[in-house]
Amino acid sequence: MILCRVKKEISRVRLWRPAVASLLAITLVFSLILGPAMGQASGQKILLNPDFPIPGRETPNGTEVNSASLVENANAWDGRIITFTGEAIGEAMARGKMAWIHLNDDAYMWKNIEEGAQLGGYNSGHAVWVLTDLAKKIRFFGDFKHEGDVVKIVGTFNAACPQHGGDMDIHASTLEIVRVGHPVHHVINTPRAMIAWVLLILALILYRFRIIIRRRHAF
Amino acid sequence: MIIRPRWADFKVIGLYTGKVIIGVGILMVIPLTTSLLFGEWNSAIDFLIGIGACLVFGLGLEVLCQTPKNMAWGHGLVVVSFSWLMATVLGAIPHYLSGHFSSYLDAMFDVMSGYTTTGLYLLQDLDHVSHGLNMWRHVLTFAGGQGIIVIALTFLFQGTAGAYKIYVGEGKDERLLPNVIQTARAIWLVSLAYLVVGSFFLWISGMLLGLGPLRSFLHAIWIFMSAWSTGGFAPQSYNSIYYHSLLYEVITVPIFVIGSFNFALHWAVWTGEKREIYRNIEIISFFTTVAIALLLATAGLMKLGVYPDIAILFRKMFYQVVSAHTTTGLGTIYSRTFVRQWGTFSMLGIILAMAIGASACSTGGGFKGLRMGIIFKAVIQDVRRLISPESARIVEKWHHISTRLLDDATVRIAMLIVLSYVGIYALGTVIGVYYGYDLVQAMFDAVSAGSNTGLSCGVVSPTMPTLMKVVYIFEMWAGRLEFMSLFALAGYFVALIRGR
Repeated sequence: MILCRVKKEISRVRLWRPAVASLLAITLVFSLILGPAMGQASGQKILLNPDFPIPGRETPNGTEVNSASLVENANAWDGRIITFTGEAIGEAMARGKMAWIHLNDDAYMWKNIEEGAQLGGYNSGHAVWVLTDLAKKIRFFGDFKHEGDVVKIVGTFNAACPQHGGDMDIHASTLEIVRVGHPVHHVINTPRAMIAWVLLILALILYRFRIIIRRRHAF
Repeated sequence: MIIRPRWADFKVIGLYTGKVIIGVGILMVIPLTTSLLFGEWNSAIDFLIGIGACLVFGLGLEVLCQTPKNMAWGHGLVVVSFSWLMATVLGAIPHYLSGHFSSYLDAMFDVMSGYTTTGLYLLQDLDHVSHGLNMWRHVLTFAGGQGIIVIALTFLFQGTAGAYKIYVGEGKDERLLPNVIQTARAIWLVSLAYLVVGSFFLWISGMLLGLGPLRSFLHAIWIFMSAWSTGGFAPQSYNSIYYHSLLYEVITVPIFVIGSFNFALHWAVWTGEKREIYRNIEIISFFTTVAIALLLATAGLMKLGVYPDIAILFRKMFYQVVSAHTTTGLGTIYSRTFVRQWGTFSMLGIILAMAIGASACSTGGGFKGLRMGIIFKAVIQDVRRLISPESARIVEKWHHISTRLLDDATVRIAMLIVLSYVGIYALGTVIGVYYGYDLVQAMFDAVSAGSNTGLSCGVVSPTMPTLMKVVYIFEMWAGRLEFMSLFALAGYFVALIRGR
């Protein structure tokens, strides 16, 4: 019995051997070759993207900036105090005294597709870490049935926030409502409703046909 | 001599395609119900039109194509590839009618991305879409992960005749149970059981993170469907960044890792074969290649000093790498962060992870761990053969559910499929570079599409050239069906033209 178990254990170890060996080999290669190579390569930086605004050395506090510039030149904006304006979407997620809100400064910031806005690409925006009391000032958050409040915040931009697991975020100190949002009024599309009924009636007729045909064929 | 398909062959294909499309129509009842519950009337009408179109097309085919002829292997494969195309065309109706797409092609792109569990999207203003449409996006990816053929087999097929032939065509060749319809039902049993448990944990954690109970519930179901199916869709444009939570990450990572495992492995473990977890070639291959990708990404990130400390670096890097390797595509960084912060070297690590991908007969894409393991074993076997005496017989074994001897036929098939994947990755990259995208960025999104991952570094967008959209749709379709069904469909077209 014991011998049997030992045999099983040995076979288990054998099966693990290739995996452990390859992991050890990778670690060895990494530490002996890649490690020094990395040292030689360190100091390389990603170049700034000149297509987007780049902060100067003497940027005044609260420079107005959009989300695309922040993502494209994140390292250059890191630690700067910025002003950011966008539509509040989703909801405020309160975490004690602080809360997460998300502000979109995209083509749908003032009017969304459900209200008849032109298509203007993807959503884009930024996550903002703000006092829950300030977040409570936001009345409408954007979704299918609402156009959210447009909110202006001033805060510090973090390219990889040490407090929030490396997230790219803005820690806001002030929050101002620029425009109060509103519910979106959807008008029922009657012609489409008619098309839907016609298709469903047609489907019902075909279903009846199918029963008759299957009975006739009786395969 | 190539034999031209007869009318009776088309009837067989039409009959079974009809059944699959009816299944797609029935699936739309879920988002329809969601829209009705939330009073999204226009969205509900869009789904009624979608259901009507699917039923008319599917029932129409069934009425026109009744035949006593049995299904052959060729029919099965063509049914799969053709029904996936038709399911994409008809499934895109609610998408397009929502008004969030520039063209019908864009809507089809999203639906193909959903079915194939890719997760790339061209939908615009995602943050203002209805709950119904969000439900449809995620149901698509959940259903696509298990396989729309599997759904049809589970609910719409009465006899087992021909069932195995179309089941195999969908890139799944494992039989969990002797009967293929029972196998399809077992796949659903596994997935639904995990759905209940996983969604419950995500729901509770969502409420702890500050989401309201109802929104937390919806997000939980959607994120589970996306993670389990290794899809990558999310209800908000911020994807997983939206939650800002280690807890959410800790819950989602095991979901997409388990989701990326072979259904046969799940079944073996469910039925008491727990040793299979550490004996299976795919699991060994998966953990080895994950380790390599992690090392590459770590080296790249450390070189550039992107994150303030090693714990944060590991958290960010681990989530993206495992998401890429399981071909999930959920991300806790912005798309452009790959290019603007992570840099080319880390991106290569992610590309490698995406290219290799998940397990065979799972919800994931890519080369698959099984094939990587087989090819690795074949290399070892050949090296051993080279250094052994000529008279020596070198035997290599591999374990997947049962232990088997490695033979040339198995290696040849594995190599053929891997080469086909390399072909579609190259196709997408070449087209991207032709349109002026940077080589690594073009490769990143092309591999993401071909391996059904869904991570993007910003190449995929509603404004990208139409040809690139078409190529990516093809990549997603070919990658998900693992080529055999496509070869069969192409063969059918050739036979139509050149056959006698």
